[in-house]
Amino acid sequence: MGPLRPRASRAPASAMVDESQPTSEEAAEHGLLLWQPSSSAAAEPLEEGDQGDEEFDDEAPEELTFASAQAEAREEERRVRETARRDKTLLKEKRKRREELFIEQKKRKLLPDSILEKLTTVSQTNIKKSPGKLKEVNLQKKNEECEKGSDSKKAKVQKVQSVSQNENSRQQAAKAFIQKSLYGPGTNRTTVNKFLSLDNKRLPVKKAAAQFLNNGWGTQKKQNAKRFKKRWMVRKMKNF
Amino acid sequence: MAAAERGAARPTGDNRTSRRRRRRCREHSLRTSGLAPRALPGQSARARGSGAERGPRRSAGIRCVAYNNQSNRLAVSRTDGTVEIYNLSANYFQEKFFPGHESRATEALCWAKGQRLFSAGLNGEIIEYDLQALNIKYAMDAFGGPIWSMAASPSGSQLLIGCEDGSVKLFQIIPDKIQFERNFDRQKSRILSLSWHPSGTHIAAGSIDYISVFDVKSGSAIHKMLVDRQYMNVSKRKCIIWGVAFLSDGTVISVDSAGKVQFWDSATGTLVKNHLIANADVQSIAVSDQEDSFVVGTAEGTIFHFQLVSVTSSSSEKQWVRTKPFQHHTHDVRTVAHSPTALISGGTDTHLVIRPLMEKVEVKNYDAALRKITFPHRRLISCSKKRQLLLFQFSHHLDLWRLGSTVATGKHGDTLPLSKDADHLLHLKTKGPENIICSCISPCGSWIAYSTASRFFLYRLNYEHDSISLQRVSKMPAFLRSALQILFSEDSTKLFVASNQGSLHVIRLLEGSFKHLHTFQPQSGTVESMCLLAVSPDGNWLAASGTSAGVHVYNVKRLKLHCTVPAYNFPVTALAIAPNTNNLVIAHSDQQIFEYSIPDKQYTEWSRTVQKQGFHHLWLQRDTPITHISFHPKRPMYILVHDAYMFCIIDKSLPLPNDKTLLYNPLPPTNESDVIRRRTAHAFKISKIYKPLLFMDLLDERTLVAVERPLDDIIAQLPPPIKKKKFGT
Repeated sequence: MGPLRPRASRAPASAMVDESQPTSEEAAEHGLLLWQPSSSAAAEPLEEGDQGDEEFDDEAPEELTFASAQAEAREEERRVRETARRDKTLLKEKRKRREELFIEQKKRKLLPDSILEKLTTVSQTNIKKSPGKLKEVNLQKKNEECEKGSDSKKAKVQKVQSVSQNENSRQQAAKAFIQKSLYGPGTNRTTVNKFLSLDNKRLPVKKAAAQFLNNGWGTQKKQNAKRFKKRWMVRKMKNF
Repeated sequence: MAAAERGAARPTGDNRTSRRRRRRCREHSLRTSGLAPRALPGQSARARGSGAERGPRRSAGIRCVAYNNQSNRLAVSRTDGTVEIYNLSANYFQEKFFPGHESRATEALCWAKGQRLFSAGLNGEIIEYDLQALNIKYAMDAFGGPIWSMAASPSGSQLLIGCEDGSVKLFQIIPDKIQFERNFDRQKSRILSLSWHPSGTHIAAGSIDYISVFDVKSGSAIHKMLVDRQYMNVSKRKCIIWGVAFLSDGTVISVDSAGKVQFWDSATGTLVKNHLIANADVQSIAVSDQEDSFVVGTAEGTIFHFQLVSVTSSSSEKQWVRTKPFQHHTHDVRTVAHSPTALISGGTDTHLVIRPLMEKVEVKNYDAALRKITFPHRRLISCSKKRQLLLFQFSHHLDLWRLGSTVATGKHGDTLPLSKDADHLLHLKTKGPENIICSCISPCGSWIAYSTASRFFLYRLNYEHDSISLQRVSKMPAFLRSALQILFSEDSTKLFVASNQGSLHVIRLLEGSFKHLHTFQPQSGTVESMCLLAVSPDGNWLAASGTSAGVHVYNVKRLKLHCTVPAYNFPVTALAIAPNTNNLVIAHSDQQIFEYSIPDKQYTEWSRTVQKQGFHHLWLQRDTPITHISFHPKRPMYILVHDAYMFCIIDKSLPLPNDKTLLYNPLPPTNESDVIRRRTAHAFKISKIYKPLLFMDLLDERTLVAVERPLDDIIAQLPPPIKKKKFGT
């Protein structure tokens, strides 16, 4: 039989590396030929073709050294790594190009640097809060919304607003978090009416709920009815 | 606020004088049911999803408490931004308060070295309070977004805050201000709770789903302990660590929203013990100074007491055991504190509950009983006697009501129908986000004045037929702002304003304008409590309390100090000057009442007798302070006092009760002999018909007005509580 060659498979290289090594080793050492039946039928051309008859003797298959198998496996690995690296660099380049494109677009929307500088110096003297955090981000955002060539006064006013808006929105978000975690979905809350009525329901003589009537029902209807009644009365009185 | 409408019986005294009065007097107390909104907020809150749209709230829930050991004082902050200081050794009296602000949503409160009080809230600012000038010293922005937690170091010289963006910031406390020192490692989610190790070397910070342990010197996170979302269960809801506590042996105790109390070892970062104590969130934790007990508060209203007890009686090994549950609240217990002898808890249901621990209390007397503080310790209602008007003070608006009247008559004990309903005359909203500190209506009903922290408002009212018109007096002087107490003189020509700087201003009121007459400069002595004012009906004398020097009495005509009542070690809760005799009656927080004669500059005979004999022990054991004193115009022997659960007419002509007599005299059967009635008669005629009382006053010699605030009304306006499943419902 011809020398066995580990069949190159399409599975991920790392998985195959671990598995193909021992399997090739085993196959080589123990003579377990997993592919033998099919390989013999659709036989790959054997290198030592003239040894045809003698191959089918009970000759031990050619021994593959561990080193060669290892070398093959390493080759595989390297190839896979190369492809991965190439893919990564391609992606990186793509991303870089997109970033540059975005910056370009943004730059086109912004005002020229001279006006930006003027605005930042003006803002630093006028903002009430001490400049800890900053306003560069807000400035850029605001500037995008400003008209080109807007006067600094208008930008000043708008800028303070945006700062407080930011703070306000964070406070709102914090309050919403607390509200959601204490009273939001998933919490086991009940209405005050039901809470106060629990005792009523357990008395020996059961009483109605604490707020049995819903006075808030149909307020608009009731108001309309009241107005209609007043008008009707006036009309009735007029007829007399 | 609801006032009860009845023509009911007079105080249930059983002696002849009160019975005679009963036949002649009629009592009017009116229920103005339109005031209390009956729509329960539970449903509306769910529909709208935010608490801010619920409309004016009458009572604000408690958000944080902080206990100060050296001065035995408790600072309480509420959801509307008010901060109140209670003096626990002066019979749990609220001696000072700082008015709230709409934007200030306080989330943390702590005391630092030297009796300095700091608070931090969702507006991102750290605020220091000035306890002497009763105003805010400064507000410093921490630049970390909303602040969720704050803790002072054990040495008291550093302050740590946990912010929305996950940063932990360290501030240095220097005299007069605080200074930013550095940032610790930034975490991924908001830091909701903080705790220092007693040695000041490590910090535990509780966040969402994990707890971090930091090293203070380097500022880096040493351990990150992940918390299970649900006890032995899978849950989608994030586990919020509401409280952490660091003990000196390195144990970190955490309480979270899954209802667990967990003990962690901070050296290895591992979980030691897990206690599942509730089905709802456990929202607060407080450890005692000796570290042998701690208390946790849950969202169901229960507080649990954990103690370190030895495993067997002889062994030295100890473990933490849950010993006592207390159910004193109906809604979430958002905050707890542990004083050396008591457990203090406060929550969304607006009660402040102080539960002394029996094993820590030395003397087992009435002091060891449960204290529940629900009602304000100062007067929020003023009355105009001539026009029968009541002015109600809320946090952001004032309500003016005219009392109804009845023409029906009946026996005592009857409820008479109103012939003319109570009229809601005016709803005055304050401009701006600040809360109203104090307000007053003049006795003639034509002036209304109120003050916020930055402005003073004075309005002139004109009555035409049945309607009124309001006119604001503009350009009030700046020194009037942030007034602690406002009072009009009896003839409504003068206005007395006590400002928070300690000075007293006298202003003459003219038609549509005013003139500043005089300012009494602050006297020596530290500010002990809020200033209370009283003016004599003849307009000659003005009494002012609040400093450690005692009650000052000024001569208004000559504009100088007349005398000073000797200082007493308990704060003054109510002040009033009697007509004609000009006796100053002072009520203190330990339920003592003194009567001081202003013209004679000494205590009256009756007062000396009372002090010698002492008050009845049941009188001294009352929980709530006397908030208002008034007098009968025709009977100089009567003093009418009231607190939240009773009102009492003190008849100075009758003998005083000793400890053996019955203080609360029930109505005697009519066939009792005169002798027995005379024997059981004593000076204190107490009635508990109307409770809880917010205000009571004599309008004229035949009419009494009482304003009640039923507890059910308060509960009806609270946010939704946790569902409790009871068998059979």
